[in-house]
Amino acid sequence: MQKGDHELLLTSTITWLLLLALTLVTYAAAQLGVEGKWLILGVLAIALIKGKLIIDRFMGLRWVGSFWRPMLDLYLFTVGGLIATAFLLP
Amino acid sequence: MGESDSPVLSQQKATLSMTVPDSNRTSCAITTDYPPGDVAIWIFILAELSVFALLFVVYAFTRHYNLELFDLHQQQLDSRSGLINTLTLITSSYFVVRAVAAIQYGNARLCSRWLWGAIALGLLFLLVKGVEYQHHFSLGIGLSTNLFYTFYISLTFFHFMHVIMGMVILTVVALKAGRGGYCATEHTGVETAASYWHMVDLVWLILFPLVYVMR
Repeated sequence: MQKGDHELLLTSTITWLLLLALTLVTYAAAQLGVEGKWLILGVLAIALIKGKLIIDRFMGLRWVGSFWRPMLDLYLFTVGGLIATAFLLP
Repeated sequence: MGESDSPVLSQQKATLSMTVPDSNRTSCAITTDYPPGDVAIWIFILAELSVFALLFVVYAFTRHYNLELFDLHQQQLDSRSGLINTLTLITSSYFVVRAVAAIQYGNARLCSRWLWGAIALGLLFLLVKGVEYQHHFSLGIGLSTNLFYTFYISLTFFHFMHVIMGMVILTVVALKAGRGGYCATEHTGVETAASYWHMVDLVWLILFPLVYVMR
């Protein structure tokens, strides 16, 4: 196994642990009674970060250039933006 | 869990081995136009993600016009089940990453083991979600109870069916890997199945906060 391969396996493991931690933060925020605009924005931001980690690190699109990664990034931020708009509308 | 390679190197490995001496190999800053696995699965993934996106956005705007109803019934959901299922799917996705890495190193048996681990976690997801459905149904709650439950059951059950489909795909690939049907140079099937499973995970990562947490 090459040094770079070790690093990339380590990256995958760190990504997994980060995803677990971010999920627990989302859950804890709701359990601690955080509500309203800050919960919505915080939880959505965490969901987008987690989505980006899945796309780049787990799906392996980090180094895929031309079409697929930009499409999935666009998907993530469009869906996130529309959900935020619906939740924050007066 | 033994020797393995990173999944992100699958497309570049052959080129690297021809052009760069092993001692000088690096693992970043190399781009490719092709995603891991069969391109057809990526077209399918985009189509599936579009359907889920539409459902998510319709849910969010419907909630805006029925705020009290949605907030009231959302609080009756068991968010611990949602949490357990999120942790379960993330971990199963990680197992699939390790399976791809194992086969890229030519270790088909290890690949198969990681895949069976991911399938077991998929079963756990279905079990937890099944218990949740059973609880709702025992209280007489169904699709027609109110608008919130129409969305909640439709969205989560649609995802539930995708988990089952993903598990079927992973099972076929795990069996083939166990028989030595993949190797370091030919493992498109493993990457294709992995891409689909990660899509199922990605959808849940939006669905969980949207339905269980945000209010």
